[in-house]
Amino acid sequence: MTARVAVVAAGVVSPLGFGLTETVDSLRKSSDCVSLVTRFSVGQCRCKTAGQVSDDRLLAMRGDAPRSRRLHRASHMMMQALTEVVTQEPQFKPELTVIGTTSGGMSYGEHYYRSLRQAGDLRHAPTWIANYPAQKPVIDAQESLGISSPCQVIANACASGTNAIGHAFECVRSGRYQRVLAGGYDALSELVFTGFDSLQASTPEKCRPFDRRRTGMVLGEGAALLELENLDSAQQRGASILAEIIGYGISTDNFHITQPDPSGIGPRQAMERAVQSARVSENEIDYINAHGTATLFNDAAEGKAISELFNGVPVSSTKSMMGHSLGAAGAVEAVVCLLALQHEFLPPNINFEAADDDLDLNIVANESRPAFLRTVLSNSFGFGGTNASILMRRFEA
Amino acid sequence: MSLAIAGMGWMTPLGSGVDSVWERLLQGHEASPTTISESFSDRSYTAFRVPEAAMAGVRYPRLRRASVISRFAAAAGLDALRAAGVELSSQNAERTALIFAISNGGVIYTKRFYGDIVDTGAQSASPLLFPETVFNAPASHLAAILGITGATYTLVGDGAVGLLAIKMAEDLMANETLDRCLVVGTEEVDWLLCDAYRRWRLVRLAPPIEPFSKDQRGTILSEGAGAVLLTREGSLTIESADPGGYFTKRAEAGKILKRILSDLSQKKIDLVISSANGTFVDRVEYQAIRQVVPDAFVYTGKSALGESVGAAGLWQIVLAAQALRSTELPPVLHAGLDISIQLSHSRMPIPGARRAVVLICGLNQQAAGLRLAIDI
Repeated sequence: MTARVAVVAAGVVSPLGFGLTETVDSLRKSSDCVSLVTRFSVGQCRCKTAGQVSDDRLLAMRGDAPRSRRLHRASHMMMQALTEVVTQEPQFKPELTVIGTTSGGMSYGEHYYRSLRQAGDLRHAPTWIANYPAQKPVIDAQESLGISSPCQVIANACASGTNAIGHAFECVRSGRYQRVLAGGYDALSELVFTGFDSLQASTPEKCRPFDRRRTGMVLGEGAALLELENLDSAQQRGASILAEIIGYGISTDNFHITQPDPSGIGPRQAMERAVQSARVSENEIDYINAHGTATLFNDAAEGKAISELFNGVPVSSTKSMMGHSLGAAGAVEAVVCLLALQHEFLPPNINFEAADDDLDLNIVANESRPAFLRTVLSNSFGFGGTNASILMRRFEA
Repeated sequence: MSLAIAGMGWMTPLGSGVDSVWERLLQGHEASPTTISESFSDRSYTAFRVPEAAMAGVRYPRLRRASVISRFAAAAGLDALRAAGVELSSQNAERTALIFAISNGGVIYTKRFYGDIVDTGAQSASPLLFPETVFNAPASHLAAILGITGATYTLVGDGAVGLLAIKMAEDLMANETLDRCLVVGTEEVDWLLCDAYRRWRLVRLAPPIEPFSKDQRGTILSEGAGAVLLTREGSLTIESADPGGYFTKRAEAGKILKRILSDLSQKKIDLVISSANGTFVDRVEYQAIRQVVPDAFVYTGKSALGESVGAAGLWQIVLAAQALRSTELPPVLHAGLDISIQLSHSRMPIPGARRAVVLICGLNQQAAGLRLAIDI
């Protein structure tokens, strides 16, 4: 049995904005939402910028109750995204929740270690420890909105969010589940920021995906959720169908723990498998939201795979606008794809100055463009050689 | 859909190898405690560590710089494949999925990486250590060793994560492009974890772990890995995996466990492999077992092996499988005689046992269960 899989609600918080309306506005205006990092010292790092979600707005949304203040900001992001979803679909009761992340409540782990190491104040240690586990923000968000489904938390590095949506899609398509909540979250942390800086993967300049002069990524943060439902079930209960997920591909390339195989085999297999899973042809793809981190190696491998598989399809990396939110990225970018389908435009790849002669790509350079889209593809690739792609389609009854 | 266990692997503080560890458990052996200290603290803790000798055969170029968590996982995963007689090639590796269950991940390298930042600043951060701090590093190492090019997933959670990984395997195997799924649970222990769990009042300073004791004096952390290779047909099957749910207050855990046990005991249950570890978990499991399956024999291996968190679910599955295969239970160490469930206080035959439930109440709000059956 294979069922069609509908997206019936979506929620997002990212540097582009709180909610779908602000997000589509930022995308259309091609806003640069990357700013100087303020959460921790970056004085010794090459890179000093990231896409950041406003704490003031997060707390304003969640209130100032003592319990709320103790929660990790990742929990607040998840609550924000889930609130938006539940507002659209109050009747949706998921049987399973699948969420991607890379670092859980890492910054609380940092506070704890730093306080231990520097003989600091450990009075809040139990709070930091309790809010550190990766499942905690998911449970906090579900509890706050009365959702009780079991949660699987996928940590496949930067592919996590797309893996979560892809796995949720397969769960519904197989007929084993009717309704699954899926998405991803990650909050900036000093450890991860410094880690990418130490690898010289992040840039002291602007993030310029696929540009000849690209020098690396900037990090970001956020959370995004999609409610996936068996299409027949959603239609029977009169739910709004925002789009369909139609395909998912996953591959592992085993080349190196932090670098993709330069041949592009990993991304290529993920995209091929997604297209095969959707039973469509490469020619039907109208837009690709690339992983596009702006590192030399990622963009070279991904660009090669895209140019080999797709002929002149418009491509952009929206990480240029908001940074790379790691475990959240695939979910946030799935929401970007959803908005592009709904609002009929191509999201931009900003900071683009000069095409890379080695990459034959049709980049949506600097400005969003109106476009009627039917089928779009979103890529996410991560450390450990994990690669994932999903295909989303405009819903046509 | 039921899945069959085609092979198992085990790396524990009592050594490696399913048959060898099982025999030691039957004989009533207990892991040796190790004192763990830290240069910047005068506190020290006790943990059950995997002995060096158990790791002797684990040598792969890919693991040269990897932390012990990846070595444990590789050893257990490869053992499970060997036990099943499966050799992966470029033809069948694509039809094999790999799922990892992890709780705290590569904490040793993470601490070292961040320690350098705290001590001497961001410029001293090591680009070699950082990739090993990522949750999916152990999975990527094993995928590379095995040549797996298809689905690889790492799930994170508390002690219940191993069973959530089995549930995921069940969902993945609904796809006929897969022939098998290797599920590995792994964990490494470190002073920092002991200190964190101690501040949370879950760890005691020295053994023994006293399962089902009213005093709830705490557990002892341990490390290692467990692995099962799942296929579609075989005599030892996972009939049902229940992903359970989450609890926000410890008092709510009992409700979830009773629901899980009720669902899984639709067929007669002969034994329960419990996650009792000397903490609050024991009371909630005790009450659920007593109420729902009072006649089932109950065993926990944690007083002998310790609490291995991310690896614990896979360890419990191995214990359940071995108990059904051998129709025997090892003694539950350090349990009081006044506990009114059917604990195996000494090595005990369980003739005719056909079905076992693995029940897990995690320390961080997750609970899950599954039912194993053997077809003789």
